[in-house]
Amino acid sequence: MTSQREHSPPLAIDAKHLVKRYKSKTAVDGISLQVAPGETFGILGTNGAGKTTTVEMIAGLRKPTEGSVKVMGLDPFTDRAKVRQILGVQLQQAYLHGSLTARELVNLYRSFYPNPLDTDTALAMVELTDKAKTKFDNLSGGQMQRLSIALALIGQPKVVILDELTTGLDPKARRRVWGTIESLTEQTVILISHAMDEVERLCDRVALIDAGRIIAQGTPDELKAQAAAQTLEDAFVALTGKDVHDDEGDE
Amino acid sequence: MAHTTVQAHRPGLKAWLRLIQAEAKMVIRDYAGLIVPLGLPLLILVMQGISIADMHQELAEGVTVFSYYALPVVVTMVVATIAVINMPSFLATYRKTKLLRRLAVTPASPAMVLVAQMVVSFIQVILGIGLAFAVAMLFFGADLPQSPLTGLAVLLACCAAMYGLGMIVASIAPTPNSSVAIGLVAFFGIAALGGMFGPAENLPDALETLGSWLPFGAAVEAFQAAWIGETVEAQNWLVLGGSAVIGAGVAAALFRWE
Repeated sequence: MTSQREHSPPLAIDAKHLVKRYKSKTAVDGISLQVAPGETFGILGTNGAGKTTTVEMIAGLRKPTEGSVKVMGLDPFTDRAKVRQILGVQLQQAYLHGSLTARELVNLYRSFYPNPLDTDTALAMVELTDKAKTKFDNLSGGQMQRLSIALALIGQPKVVILDELTTGLDPKARRRVWGTIESLTEQTVILISHAMDEVERLCDRVALIDAGRIIAQGTPDELKAQAAAQTLEDAFVALTGKDVHDDEGDE
Repeated sequence: MAHTTVQAHRPGLKAWLRLIQAEAKMVIRDYAGLIVPLGLPLLILVMQGISIADMHQELAEGVTVFSYYALPVVVTMVVATIAVINMPSFLATYRKTKLLRRLAVTPASPAMVLVAQMVVSFIQVILGIGLAFAVAMLFFGADLPQSPLTGLAVLLACCAAMYGLGMIVASIAPTPNSSVAIGLVAFFGIAALGGMFGPAENLPDALETLGSWLPFGAAVEAFQAAWIGETVEAQNWLVLGGSAVIGAGVAAALFRWE
């Protein structure tokens, strides 16, 4: 079993050789990731590289065709109820009850957890106190994203997955979201992005994913050194042979 | 310690109440959606009220022609519009916008939304019926069913049948738009054959028979029996129960949370 870890805490994420195959397509082709508790770990890749499928397998939303995954030592499929307590997820472009206000949504989501954050604390954390009475439908894109982060954190999870959280936001809104992420010192954060500056600024370590495989993994500095590049973006281009600009939308 | 000590926790009563409250707010704040289930039955009620000849004539002791023909149709319409048009449209929207998926990564399950929607739908049914009864009694001198308990049992069976049909709509509709379209076609189809636009016995025989084997017609016939205090025919129970079972089966096989 896990005798080698008898005296050490489990990894926050321990994914081994994850493969996800659809009829004619292999979306994820043997990805292994180990993330230590407290780390902010970036998964970087162009659209369609397999990032979201990878985290959906970690979150227990998609069963891997092959391989295994553990979140804080728990299996997201067999220990589903327990994993839901310790894993907070912000899904890419997930919508909420549009006619409910920010406060009503926070109250709704906090009712699902045994030991949730206080409603006012959660709203203040993502700077939405003054939008508490605004309906979700009337929030700006950035405010929706920040509320989404608050809901991912409402159950006081140990691990948080944030998927493409600043896509489509203006530069000012992005910086505010980054500020929120930087304030998360207690949690392990898995950040999925195709924005190089975001990953370089926020992440302790990064995995570069291309065509369903990890092509390089390390700290941003290590990746730059490996590719003899000045920026993470240059390193990405050098290591994958792909230009990321076409996929970055608002960059 | 080899294992993370985490207690599995299921959302409790508070979560259920919050979710029902959330669904209720969604329905109330999307008030345009209430016009069809609350307004259309009233429209039909008034239309029947002014067009039925001898509407005050009694068919049985204390049961007027109007009560016998209009109220069963109106009650069935309230249930059918809510269950077959409105509820699937909410579920299809939640699916498309990934709201159900968002809930799937919390300790709450997306199935809780389904149940909450059904609870809120049932509250709407009660309100819609209350409104229709109030208008019918105040302005058209209508009467309550002779067998109120049978009427209540038929109402529950009618809800189960229409929810079943609504779940089929929600299961086969790929988008919120198509859900409204399929819901409307299904509703008008069973309603036209079931007596919404006039007594079903005025339809050609083949259509009347077909209508009585569909949940709208079966519900209307069953309610009519309750109104004049007769026993509901076995065929009516069979159709209503069968619709619920078939709906649940189709939903179990085809309904997608995402």
